Amino acid sequence: MGRTLAEKILSRVSGGADVRAGDEVMARPDFVIVYDFPGYTDVIFRQMKEDFGIERVNDPSRYAVFIDHMVPTATPKEEELHIQTRNWCAEQGVPLYERRGIGHQVSAELGYATPGAFAVHFDGHISQLGAYGTLAIGLRRNILEAFVREHVSLKVPHTTRINLTGMLRKGVMARDVFHHIVRVIGPSACRFQVMEVGGPGLDHISLEGRQTICGLAMFTGAVTAVMNPDATSLAYTDPRNRIATPAVCSDPDAEYAAVHTIDLTDLEPIIVLPPNPANTRNLSEHLGIEVQSGYLGSCASGRLEDLRIAAQILKGRRVKDGFSLHVIPTSQDIMAKAASEGLISTLVEAGAFTSSPSCDYCFGRIATMTAGQKAVSTGTLNVPGRMGSPDSQIFLVNAAAVAAAAIEGKITDPRKYL
Amino acid sequence: MVLANLKGRVAWIFEEENFDVDLIVGVKNIKITDLAELSKAAMESYDPEFAAKVRPGDLIVGAGNFGYGHPHYPPLRALAHLGLRGVIAESFSPGFWRGEISMGTPLVSCPGIVAGVNRWDEVDVDWDAGIVRNLTQGTMLAFEPLSSADRLMVETGGLLPYLKAQMQTA
Repeated sequence: MGRTLAEKILSRVSGGADVRAGDEVMARPDFVIVYDFPGYTDVIFRQMKEDFGIERVNDPSRYAVFIDHMVPTATPKEEELHIQTRNWCAEQGVPLYERRGIGHQVSAELGYATPGAFAVHFDGHISQLGAYGTLAIGLRRNILEAFVREHVSLKVPHTTRINLTGMLRKGVMARDVFHHIVRVIGPSACRFQVMEVGGPGLDHISLEGRQTICGLAMFTGAVTAVMNPDATSLAYTDPRNRIATPAVCSDPDAEYAAVHTIDLTDLEPIIVLPPNPANTRNLSEHLGIEVQSGYLGSCASGRLEDLRIAAQILKGRRVKDGFSLHVIPTSQDIMAKAASEGLISTLVEAGAFTSSPSCDYCFGRIATMTAGQKAVSTGTLNVPGRMGSPDSQIFLVNAAAVAAAAIEGKITDPRKYL
Repeated sequence: MVLANLKGRVAWIFEEENFDVDLIVGVKNIKITDLAELSKAAMESYDPEFAAKVRPGDLIVGAGNFGYGHPHYPPLRALAHLGLRGVIAESFSPGFWRGEISMGTPLVSCPGIVAGVNRWDEVDVDWDAGIVRNLTQGTMLAFEPLSSADRLMVETGGLLPYLKAQMQTA
C-alpha cells in the first residue's frame, strides 16, 4: 500500500522509519513559524526561560517570527510587545519579518513553503503552505513544545482526498471552491485529518487560489491541507526553497480515509452567511441584503488575482456613498506588484480605502463594525464579533463580490460586472 | 501518576452539531478576564439557574464536531470555575480539542453520548476501560482512547506540566 504525502513527510522528520496514519511520533519541524501576539509569543518567550531554563533556541534558522498583527500599533502596550519581540529575535538570532505582510503569505514568498518540509505554527491558517506540498500544522498553544525541545509529539493524521474536476466559470474564484467543499463534504468531514486536494480541476486554479483553498482547511475540521507539487508550484518554490529536502507526492495507491470528487463546472459564487463558516449558500439566492462595509484582504484573499478582479469591476465606477471599502493587499510584494499594474490607482479612484498589509482588518481591531452593521468580507471567518460588535454580521464572499457590493451597497452578483 | 476517572452528573446537553463554545458565555462577554464575573455569564442564556444547580465534578455533553468555529479559552475556564470537570461529546473540532487538552481539560470523544444520557444522569468515565457508564440508566458506551501525549497532558494538568515532566524524563 502506498503512502500519503503527510505520511512521507512525517516519516522523514520522525527518524526515517515508515510511519503510518494513526502512529504516534515525535516529529522535528523544519520550520517553526509564529507571529507576535499577546498570550502566545510573550508567554512562550517567558516560559522558555522561567519554566524550562532555556536561554536560547536550538538552531535559530529553523524559526521565523512575523510582526503582522497590530501593524501599525494603536497603543503603547502593543508597541511594547513588538519591542520585546524584536529584542528576543535579535538575542536569539531568529529571523524577524516585520511589516512585510501577513506572515502566512510572506512565508511562501520567503521559501518556508519548501515542498516536502514540515512546518508548525500556533495559527492553523499556516495550512496554506500546503499549496506547495509543505505539511504545515497549527498547534495552538502546543507550539511551546517546538520552542523547548527539538521534536513535537504528533499523531500521524489520516488523509481525505478531494478530487476537483471541471473549470471555474467567470466570477467564480478559489474561495468559492473551498466554501463549496465545505458545503459538499460538511464542516467535520476531515476532522483531525489532512485535506488533500488534487485532480484535473486543480490545474486551472492559480497558486494564489490554491493557497486560499489550503489556508481555510480548518473549517472542514482538517489539521492542515496539502496538494501534490506540480510543475507550476515547483517553478515558484524552486528558487525560494530554504532547505534541501526532496519534494514528495502521495502515491497513487495511498490509503485515504475518504475520497470525494467535486465538479466545479456549474459552481456559482458562494456566500457564507453568519454566524459560522459552515453556512455556505449560493450568493445568487441572497442578493439585496444591505451592507455598510467591505473588506478585501486577509491571508485567505487579497492577492493579485483578487485585486485584479476587484479593479476590473470598479474601473470607471464608484463605491457607493456611505459604503466603507477596505482593500488591503496581503503582502508588500503583492502591493508593489498591484501598484505597478495600476490596480491600486484604479481602486483608489473608485473610492476604496487602501493601506499596507496588516492582519488587523480581519479580526476587527481596525475598521471595526458597530451593532447592526453588516459587512461583505474575504476574511477568514464570520463568527459573531470577529470584525467588531457581536451584534454585527459578516458575509464571506469572493473578491469580485466585495467589489460588486461596494458599488451597490448590497449583496450583488459580481458576474454582471464582468 | 494515574488519570483519575471522571464521575459526575450531566449538567447540560448541547444537542447542536458544530457547537460554537463562545456561546456558553456569549460572544459579548468573551473578553471578560475576571473568572467570577465571567462564570456569572456562563450558561445564562441556556439556564439562568445553572450556576446554582451544578456541583463540582459535573460534566457537559455535546454533539458532533463540538467546538467548531473559532474557539476561545474563556468559556471552558468559566465552566471550570463553576466546578465543571470536562466535556463528553460525540466528536470534537480539532482546534478546540488541542486548545483544551493543552489546558488539561478532560475531553471524551464518545459516539452515541447525546442519545445515551438525559440531563442530570450520573455518569462515570473510566479511562482505562475506555467506557462511559451511565450510572442512572445502567448503560455504557465505548469512547475513543486518548493518544498517549494527550492522556499525559490531561493527567499532568496541561501542556506546561506535561512538557516539564517530559523534559525531566529525557
